[in-house]
Amino acid sequence: MTACTSCGVELQTPLVCGACGALQDPGTEPAPHEVFGLDPSFHVDVKDVEKRLMKLSRALHPDFFAGADEATRELAERNTARANAAFELLTDPVALADWWILELGGPAEKDERQMPPAFLMEVMEWNEAIDDADGSDDRASRLAPLSNELESQRASVLDTVVRAFDSLPHPPSDLVAVRRQLNVIRYLNRALARIRGEVNAL
Amino acid sequence: MPFLELDVLQSSTPEEPEGVLGIDLGTTNSLVAIWKKDRPVILRPDPELDDARIPSALFFAGPGHVTVGRQARALAADEPHHAIFSVKRFMGRGLADVGEDRKSVPFDLREDDKQQLFFDVHGMDMSPQELSALILREAHQAATKALGEEAPRKCVITVPAYFDDPQRQATRDAARIAGLEVLRIVNEPTAASLAYGLDQQSQGTVCVYDLGGGTFDVTILNIEDGVFRVLATAGDTHLGGDDFDRVLVDLALGELEAPESVKTDAGFLTGLRLAAERTKHELSVRESADLHVVAPRHGVAWRRTVTREEFESRIAVHLERTLAACKLALSDAGLEANSIDEVILVGGSTRIPAVSRAVGSFFGKTPQSGLNPDEVVALGAAVQGHVLAGGTRDVLLLDVTPLSLGLETYGGATSKIIQRNSPIPSQATEGYTTQADNQTGIQFHVVQGEREMAADCRTLGRFELKGIPPMPAGMPRIAVRFAIDADGILTVTAKEESTGTNASIEVRPMHGLDDDEVERMLHASFENAQSDFDASRAANLRVELATMMAAVEKNFVQVQTALDRESIEDLEEARANVTAALAQADTPVAALQAVRDALEQAALPMAAQLMDAVAKKALSGKSFSQMSEED
Repeated sequence: MTACTSCGVELQTPLVCGACGALQDPGTEPAPHEVFGLDPSFHVDVKDVEKRLMKLSRALHPDFFAGADEATRELAERNTARANAAFELLTDPVALADWWILELGGPAEKDERQMPPAFLMEVMEWNEAIDDADGSDDRASRLAPLSNELESQRASVLDTVVRAFDSLPHPPSDLVAVRRQLNVIRYLNRALARIRGEVNAL
Repeated sequence: MPFLELDVLQSSTPEEPEGVLGIDLGTTNSLVAIWKKDRPVILRPDPELDDARIPSALFFAGPGHVTVGRQARALAADEPHHAIFSVKRFMGRGLADVGEDRKSVPFDLREDDKQQLFFDVHGMDMSPQELSALILREAHQAATKALGEEAPRKCVITVPAYFDDPQRQATRDAARIAGLEVLRIVNEPTAASLAYGLDQQSQGTVCVYDLGGGTFDVTILNIEDGVFRVLATAGDTHLGGDDFDRVLVDLALGELEAPESVKTDAGFLTGLRLAAERTKHELSVRESADLHVVAPRHGVAWRRTVTREEFESRIAVHLERTLAACKLALSDAGLEANSIDEVILVGGSTRIPAVSRAVGSFFGKTPQSGLNPDEVVALGAAVQGHVLAGGTRDVLLLDVTPLSLGLETYGGATSKIIQRNSPIPSQATEGYTTQADNQTGIQFHVVQGEREMAADCRTLGRFELKGIPPMPAGMPRIAVRFAIDADGILTVTAKEESTGTNASIEVRPMHGLDDDEVERMLHASFENAQSDFDASRAANLRVELATMMAAVEKNFVQVQTALDRESIEDLEEARANVTAALAQADTPVAALQAVRDALEQAALPMAAQLMDAVAKKALSGKSFSQMSEED
């Protein structure tokens, strides 16, 4: 960890000094676990991270810098946004996996779109089932079994993704495979959203 | 080592923080509060009056003449075709958005190429921002009057939580035009929770149900150790007391007999709406009330009794909509109705018994209404003003963005980059590159809303990236950062990263007023402010002088013999000066004031004689000007 630019004390978070309260400019976007002074891991205690976010907010929030110069006000806005974004990442395993794949030099979502034909067939079947149920009076009850099946499939794929990152801080052996699993989750999310009536067929 | 134990911060609050106004800029009424010593207080310009609300009403008697507030509302009753109400409904909106509201304003409305609205007010283009600025100026003057010294120009202004980006921008611009410095835009229900939280020492999970004149918000938040953390918010920027008035207006229009030309006349409709509002207020305190419409100009005189039951059945559909929003907010917060510890009612419309009954049965507990629902938002804004002035670090408000932020992708779909109910300040970064060699610009369409297709969401701007260094296609790496600040307002910045030069890239939004326009309106409003004020003051003085002269003339004959020569000469000189001042159309205000004061002084001996001779008892203790008013 680096030292505070104002008082020289070692920093617990790249956003603010815990000793003198001076805001720090990390320059680039810091890693989400670093923001909260944590080791890289997928296994976070949400309550603990929430407490840390509140402490950070108490130190960073632009409300407490309203009388400061413009650069400081802007840094307070930016660092609070950084803390909020880091919290969202740490508490959402799918988003966190996406972040780690990119961080470790793995493929972006748009670079790894290929899905196995068998899986795409399966997706078509879900969509057909939803199409068939759409408009019927018992839509919800007809789709309940499919919904349960997709939910449990999602849980098991997500579990595989999270376990792939057990190796942290060493990268998982096959980032492409993890990216593909995230893609599967994306398809599952979309089908589930369709079942809940949140989105329509494309 | 524990994470961030920042004792150093607690001691850094100033002894005497500077004053910051908390302004509730409402659809129907506006209100100002400020922090005094240890609590927020409402600023009451008229100590005689219990009600400190400033009606958000504007009255334009003629070109360049505007009256704002209580007086405007009173004038509107007789001449509704010169009045504008509910300007807030037009803030940050385009012609396509305003729909039915257009009918409620008796002035023509147009929009420019940036979907900025303008009213044609007696030949003058007035944007909703400028009209709101007039209300804000009135609010500032009221604050000055209440404080007995120039009120602070720094302020916190509240907006409905469900206001989108253009509506917030428009509010911020209105304040700038009014010459105010906005330290923060705060969501109304969150502000209300601050006032409640401090007053009642609330802790736990709280739901604020805020039904105002034109907007509805529901906000669910957690209060713990002085941190007010919003979990979710939902609402409708087009649902409120106005809609309940409209229910009664529609009832009247359906039953009363009048030609179609009268029923669609904006002036007639405004008068009808004011009558409907009175009936609505009465129905909150009694079981039935009369709806009485008198418009001699249009040959209409109509009356009918409305029962509370009838009124409630007609507004039920609107109340259902508010409860649907409550359900959505609960689900976004991951909570059930019964996990709410406290329900707080805010906004004048929650005085309607059916509203508190519906809310109470939905949440299964009696709602709190310990503080005045009209005043609690302004009080909360004053608390936040105190925090921003550095007065305390014990209170912290953590709010969320009410609507998702998205980008239009190929095929017109929306790709969400910041989800609704994300804590603010919030940020997201998207990478862009070019499609063609030496391409120097990229356009992208930013939208706000929950719909799947970008066309169904609200366009915040078709932003354009300019100044990308010429390179082969796909080479530039442009990072575009979308940030929602603590006011809930979007800023977009861009950086080209591949060249390492951080070429600054210009991002231009397309909406509302640009800086130059705001600047121009700011100056226009300042130039007009003094002359508007002078003009109305001069008119008032002229009326007063005419009344005084008539009184002097009438009484002079009676007491002439009893007056000494010197007094008579003084009085005649004063009268001659008044006549001369009145004869000139452009006599300055100061000169009118001077001749008025001289006349009053010169008439004192005459008044004394009158009291002696005629009605010593009845007139004792009254000054001459009071006598002449009664005359």
